[in-house]
Amino acid sequence: MEMFTTAISNVFNPMCLFLIWGGTMLGIVFGSIPGLSATMAVVLFLPLTFGMEPTMGLALLVGLYMGGISGGLISAILLKIPGTPSSISTVFDGGPMAERGEAGRALGVGILASGIGSLIGIVALIFISPLLAKVCLLFGATEYFAVAVFSLTIIAALSGKDMLKGLLAGLFGLALSMVGMAPVDAMSRFTFGNYQLLSGFDITVLLIGVFAVTDIVQAGINRKHLADGFEKKTYHLKGYGLSMKEFITQIPNFIISSVIGIVIGILPGIGGSTGGLLAYTAEKSRSKHPEKFGTGIIDGVIASETANNAVIGGSMVPLLCMGIPGNTVAAIFLGGLLVHGISPGPLIFQNSGEYVYGIYLALIVSTIFMVIFERLGLPIFTKLLDIPKHILLPIIMVMCCVGAFSSDSRAFDVICVLAFAMIGLLFKTFKLPSTPLIIGFILGPMFEENLRRALMASHGDWTTFVTHPISCVFLVVAVVFCTVTVRKNLKEKRAAEAKGEVFDTAEEEG
Amino acid sequence: MNSKQLDVLCSAIFLVFGGLMLKFSLSIRHIIPTDVGSGYVPIFLSICILVTAGAKLALTLLDKKPPKAAAKSDSDLAGGLGTVGLMLLYVIAFEPVGFLLSSMVYLFAQILLMSNRDNRRPVLFAAISVALPVGIALLFAYVIKMPLPVGILGF
Repeated sequence: MEMFTTAISNVFNPMCLFLIWGGTMLGIVFGSIPGLSATMAVVLFLPLTFGMEPTMGLALLVGLYMGGISGGLISAILLKIPGTPSSISTVFDGGPMAERGEAGRALGVGILASGIGSLIGIVALIFISPLLAKVCLLFGATEYFAVAVFSLTIIAALSGKDMLKGLLAGLFGLALSMVGMAPVDAMSRFTFGNYQLLSGFDITVLLIGVFAVTDIVQAGINRKHLADGFEKKTYHLKGYGLSMKEFITQIPNFIISSVIGIVIGILPGIGGSTGGLLAYTAEKSRSKHPEKFGTGIIDGVIASETANNAVIGGSMVPLLCMGIPGNTVAAIFLGGLLVHGISPGPLIFQNSGEYVYGIYLALIVSTIFMVIFERLGLPIFTKLLDIPKHILLPIIMVMCCVGAFSSDSRAFDVICVLAFAMIGLLFKTFKLPSTPLIIGFILGPMFEENLRRALMASHGDWTTFVTHPISCVFLVVAVVFCTVTVRKNLKEKRAAEAKGEVFDTAEEEG
Repeated sequence: MNSKQLDVLCSAIFLVFGGLMLKFSLSIRHIIPTDVGSGYVPIFLSICILVTAGAKLALTLLDKKPPKAAAKSDSDLAGGLGTVGLMLLYVIAFEPVGFLLSSMVYLFAQILLMSNRDNRRPVLFAAISVALPVGIALLFAYVIKMPLPVGILGF
């Protein structure tokens, strides 16, 4: 109790509150600009916290993390470019909503969902973290491999109507993740003598190339129609764009997506992007009108934003209780804790309790600031839509190149952005879905490393994946999920053919 | 190209990619005896790519339904090639020429290329092309403390 009282007095002083507010605002700016990210915000400001009192330094980092994850929704909705990898699935429905003139509503709903997801994640962190941490202790390489396989099965659900094309895209993403030094033995693969390829491709660079620059090239191809239908966007938004009735209807979505986000956050190696995508897929599968997903409905925005913000609380669970970072930002945050002399682990509550409670409080305050100030800033954020596309798109290209360069301070990444844009253009030409490519790329290293570690531990015995109960459950769920998706797809195809309609197998996902 | 021709071409590209990946994967050395090796997963993936692309090719060729005709498009090849060309020059010049100069030239040329007669305002375009890179460079140099490439001209 004494530690909690100390934490309250540390956090609720004007300077600390200002740092949380400043961190949250800066995080939103970093998150909203494609190429900059929550990770970058935390990395860049980490050295600034070294001279601060621990609670204040950690409060600033918490604000940057929270704002950075939530800020991604702004460009995801207004520009159809995810500001951070966490917001990939927000584009699916947020983009079409903005095109329909509902940018304000999409943003309002997204902000509210971010706030609710964050709060549920924090509650989970506070109350059930010790329990979940115990379960996580049971996970080894075998279980993580099974989790990767299960996560890869979402490719089936995101492949649109042509599963083979989705599979090819996912396999290509996995292949791209193989470039560079291999896990376990650090053998160089597919580098062709180029030392720049030793560290592999950066996910930010791939995302910028495939999602942002491809669109700019396409705009160049369609430049005659760039000004067509261009008019200054206006929006009408009351509150957060959600009526009480709609809010009540969405409560299961909030809860399920938050739980998915928390679980994904707790599992090391899986970030907010997977959390958002999984929640989006789960909501689509659960929905009575799955065909509307991708056309611009709030369900998709809510699922994605609730989950990717719930990841924050989830990622803090293994970080604080075991010193295991759930994702990249959490890894940087771990560095911040160590710098301030706080050793994460089972004894953290006894040794540094006031700082842990300080982090909890800073997370709650940052969530409140984020929900209030991101909403208040909406008139400014939506102004982005008023900039004519022939001016906005080249500006975005410059920002993308800056973002790619700053991810690792090397010009090679800037060239890679263009290479990935060309791949993205080929994908669009062949009507190959690009989301499975990203999922494959993200999960590739986790899939390979844990497969090899598990097989080394079992002396090459493949039955290890079915003899471990947790692994077996994940693999069975993966098989069931895949089977259900394939059957659903075939059923729709037969139904369309029975009606004499053309089932266009070459159609990309929404 | 109609949808069938595009699918055949797509499958063929992936077959070639899978074949090349398999060829290079087979040459990856295996150094830890108890490990499956760094070439294991790439070999597995390349076989999966070959099988999937082969299946896609077979299904496309066996499909008796008339292919979907390519949609009529008045897309502008010059605009597309121009955009890619400008981007290529920009990313190549980014480090040797420096962020400021390369971005100014790229921005002006790209905005000009994407604009039409009705909305072409060269003075405004020039002002944006100068102000934005300067603003970004100052932000990175003094706030974020991560200087962007200065190039051979020193700025």
